[in-house]
Amino acid sequence: MVGGGVIFRVRRGGEAGDPQERYQTYAITPRPRMTVLDVLTSIQSEQDASLVFRYSCRVGMCGTCALRVNGRPRWACRTLITELGESVTLEPLANFPIIRDLAVDMTPFSDGLKRVRAWAEPTEAAASAPARIPPSSRERVRIDPHIECITCGICYSACSMLGHDPAFLGPAALNRAYTLVCDSRDAASAERLAEVSGEQGIWRCHSQFNCTEACPKGISPATAIQGLKRQAAASGAKSFVSSIIGGRAPGA
Amino acid sequence: MASLSGPPARPPFWNLSAWRAMYPGMWAWVIQRLSAVVLLVIFPFHVLNPYNKWLRIAVLALVILHGMHGLKVIFTDFGFPARHQRKLLWVLTALGAAAFFWLAYLRKAFWGFF
Repeated sequence: MVGGGVIFRVRRGGEAGDPQERYQTYAITPRPRMTVLDVLTSIQSEQDASLVFRYSCRVGMCGTCALRVNGRPRWACRTLITELGESVTLEPLANFPIIRDLAVDMTPFSDGLKRVRAWAEPTEAAASAPARIPPSSRERVRIDPHIECITCGICYSACSMLGHDPAFLGPAALNRAYTLVCDSRDAASAERLAEVSGEQGIWRCHSQFNCTEACPKGISPATAIQGLKRQAAASGAKSFVSSIIGGRAPGA
Repeated sequence: MASLSGPPARPPFWNLSAWRAMYPGMWAWVIQRLSAVVLLVIFPFHVLNPYNKWLRIAVLALVILHGMHGLKVIFTDFGFPARHQRKLLWVLTALGAAAFFWLAYLRKAFWGFF
């Protein structure tokens, strides 16, 4: 503690590589149960009104305030500064284009959701009448642990494969694709499986499990990706066998 | 604001800043890859000089390390829930340490070690 305070090193400046990019230091006197978001609002109101960051709900419901605290992606509003020590580094989420300071552009993330068609495309039967699917059914047991995503981008920031290949779909989009592919009411599962089976889909994942460890909602996108890998492998094997039986070249 | 028009360019593979948060699952992944590289380097020496006890013990340790992490990958690929991968990592590490102890110490006459 410096004079009873905590030192916050905050990444400032525009997009990555901006000549103005720097780490600015702010001393904060901790208050009881103070969160990183409280620190940011206090810096903005008392020390530096030009600090750019983003937040919305303040209570861990929206995911807007995600940033990197000491290198790890977390929600600012749910991170108590008592957990962090005397010197804290705040940086914007990794793997996103930076707008300014701590605010990132979420476009690559939402593009991934669009690429996997992250919306339900119901079968005719599901569109015309309510489907009866008991909570104990196999598909609900598979899907339910994966539906609480609030698209905060923390898994996207934690993923090393996205650091190496920005065209990778990323954990959140694949997690969403899994919930739809497993859903019997969905009519576009085959197309979706084809989309995620490409080089920049499930096979880019190297099972490092950073997404699973980082997700504040306790979702395991890696489990979803492994599930998609099994389904893609099964459907590939099926088409291989049927092409051999039908006397066609494999894949034809 | 050129970077807003699309994903940033692919960084070169040696760019260490592309590696993200190092949680235990990530360390397991890195250790498995590194153990493979080290095995590739020392295995030819082991073949040329099979009775060198240091090389034997190093090969034994690295094969167990690489194999245990490989089992973790196989288990998670074939349905072990990834949300419990950290527990799986510790269990396999304990089994690997026990296997190493059994082979290297309890059968030390075979290895000519200690």
